[in-house]
Amino acid sequence: MKLSSLLLRSFATAVLFITVSSCSEDLDSSGVCAVLCPPIGGEVQNITVDAVSFDTTVQSLSGLGAETGLLLASRGDSLDTRVVIRFDSIVSRFTPVGDTAQDIKTVDSAYIQLRLDTLAIKGDGPFTIEAYDVDTTANDTSTVAVAALFRPDRFISSQDFARTDLHDTTKYYISNAVVLAKLQGGAQLRVGLRVTGATSAQIPIFSGESGRTPLLFFRATPDTVTKPLVVVPFSRTPTTDAIVAAHLTDYTVVVKGPPPAPAGVLAVGGLPTRRTYMRFVIPSSIIDSSTIVRATLLLNQISNPALDPTDTVLIVPQLVTAGRAVTDPVKAAQIIADLSGDTVRVVPGNSGLTNVELARALIAWHLQPPDSLPRAIVLKTVIEGISISPLEIRFSPIEDVVAALRPRLRISYTSRVPLRIP
Amino acid sequence: MRKLLVAIALATLPSLGEAQGALSLQGLGYPSGGMSARAEGTGTGVADFDPISLTTPASLASVGSTALFFQYSPEFRSVTAGSASAKTTTARFPLIVGVLPMGPRWTLGLSSSTFLDRSTETNLVRRQLVGDLVTDSVDVTERNKALGAINDVRLALSWAGSPKFRIGVGGHAFVGSNRISFSQLFPDSTRYISTSQTGRISYAGFAASAGLEFHPSRVIAFALAARKGGDLRAQEGDTTIGTARLPDHYSGSITFEGIPGVAVSARAAHDAWSSLSSLSSSNTKAFDAWDTGVGVEAAGPRVLSRLITLRAGARFRTLPFGFNGEKVSEKSFAAGIGAPLTRDRASFDFAIQHANRTAGSGVKERGVILSFGLRVSP
Repeated sequence: MKLSSLLLRSFATAVLFITVSSCSEDLDSSGVCAVLCPPIGGEVQNITVDAVSFDTTVQSLSGLGAETGLLLASRGDSLDTRVVIRFDSIVSRFTPVGDTAQDIKTVDSAYIQLRLDTLAIKGDGPFTIEAYDVDTTANDTSTVAVAALFRPDRFISSQDFARTDLHDTTKYYISNAVVLAKLQGGAQLRVGLRVTGATSAQIPIFSGESGRTPLLFFRATPDTVTKPLVVVPFSRTPTTDAIVAAHLTDYTVVVKGPPPAPAGVLAVGGLPTRRTYMRFVIPSSIIDSSTIVRATLLLNQISNPALDPTDTVLIVPQLVTAGRAVTDPVKAAQIIADLSGDTVRVVPGNSGLTNVELARALIAWHLQPPDSLPRAIVLKTVIEGISISPLEIRFSPIEDVVAALRPRLRISYTSRVPLRIP
Repeated sequence: MRKLLVAIALATLPSLGEAQGALSLQGLGYPSGGMSARAEGTGTGVADFDPISLTTPASLASVGSTALFFQYSPEFRSVTAGSASAKTTTARFPLIVGVLPMGPRWTLGLSSSTFLDRSTETNLVRRQLVGDLVTDSVDVTERNKALGAINDVRLALSWAGSPKFRIGVGGHAFVGSNRISFSQLFPDSTRYISTSQTGRISYAGFAASAGLEFHPSRVIAFALAARKGGDLRAQEGDTTIGTARLPDHYSGSITFEGIPGVAVSARAAHDAWSSLSSLSSSNTKAFDAWDTGVGVEAAGPRVLSRLITLRAGARFRTLPFGFNGEKVSEKSFAAGIGAPLTRDRASFDFAIQHANRTAGSGVKERGVILSFGLRVSP
């Protein structure tokens, strides 16, 4: 190969390499910014304003039985909750192996398979779980009416459990005779469960909404070759609303809850579950004309030592999306949207300052006028609608006699940087 | 008194685009265009005699045949400030030219070149108190990015009355825009809202230029050129946010070809950049500046039966915009080659420049600019 040709090829290769490598720009000269880049954005301004114009505690209207969890609890004078599981339709015929279909004449090994949240069980045991027949012609969703059915003449069965006996899947055996009588009579089997014990007991059970529904198993023949029959919970009532009926296949009855927060005090969580609704008035000079980078709701937490004061409760702010037409705070507080905001971890027994981050709410309020998006939020527990917890968090309201304890809003903002020629 | 306070407050307000990140990118940017790879290889000494460069319309007449020219000029830059340093790569396409001879005397040229390039990105981390003034101290990253340039689009006409004399005139439209984005980035998106602003400043202005070339003998030639600037207007959307005069420019060149196969050229130019000061809203100061260069172009070896032209030169100039009130000076040393291709129907020019820029402070900047020029005669 001639030297000239080699030189030309080498040069062409070098040109190609440099051309390709320089095609991707790298303009970032941040390394010398300490000297060459003056700050542009200006200082962040922080102000704290009494922006909460209205606050109240409202009930969560998620619906009886809509939660994905059930709570079976007995905690002395503080808490008594029971669980109802409805088997309104029980199969009355079966087909033995190698035989034809026939009526069920015997019931053996009847049990309800419960799926427990074993990590959340409270109490050392032993526990006694009693079953009662809670079928009634009275108002079957009335707490008073259903609670009254947990009496001796309605007693079905009882089973003792040590703490170690409670597994993720636990068999609760009930009376074979009761099941046989119900299926032969074409009656509804509505089982009410109650836990008792020498010490406090709190047993979370997964409900049908979680996909881990309680199931009734029994054998129609002693012959173990034939598989046990399985009955899925079903509710015939209410006949007018299939969705509500589906929720009522299993639900929690709160016979006694912890004492509610005093009047005027804001509450989140508890039994029955509650939310705090807050409406804001924010200076337009800030929300309309500034660039908000952070907004923090400053709340004074009031200690609630009634139940598990050292447990952790997660609270999340939600944006109220109810329009101007919804004037009732109870209803408005049900029409909410997720803010994707920070979850607040609080302990019921603590007191003092609690920060709730609301920057995303202010961004939404900046984008939409108050007529279409009210300047309001709801504080709710993260587990609301998912599980049932008796823990309640309390906060000082705007009517608090001590001004420093009232809810306030701290806003951090910057001014818009003018677009100018350098 | 109140108006005075407001005026002072406005003057001290920061604005988008002030963070430039390099000495050469102060103000409206770096004057990168106007020269072909051939002219850059000679330290700009030959620019006023080069039909592809835009410094004078008179030189168009020496193009010989219809030509299209395209140039790619990436710059590899490093900036040092004390122990801190930054390295960047900027891809530029500073020159595209079309020249059309119209008979033996007249030549028409249409070209576009980068007048002031402002491509930069910086990230400045600042500690800010956001929320509680005692406990909530966070690092905020200010990201500032500017892309775009003001371009010089020229339509020029040249007349060659004789081999000794050429004259030309040109009309210039200065157009372009800077796309600016500014973001304040916070570390925790659940607590803080990062902000972002974008904007676009567009520029429009006009100028006229004229030039002449005089070749009294075969060994020496002279060139003079001038450009008179008109108004340059900066707009954001429909709103005019600044006006200034485009800088007047004049230059003079000499070339000596008394040594067979060798041409030595020198050029001196002056730009009244200070006329752009009124466009600046910050403390960035524009300076009138000299731009001088000297270079040599010589016939080199034959490679694959092609005569290679070798070039070398040096250039000294002051950049338009200062840093901290000080002028930014640039010293460049350049070398290059030129080679005909495909039976002289095309040619390839390559130049490499090494530039040192200083501003009388501790900040130093070095740039290596590679220029690849391809000329095609259809």
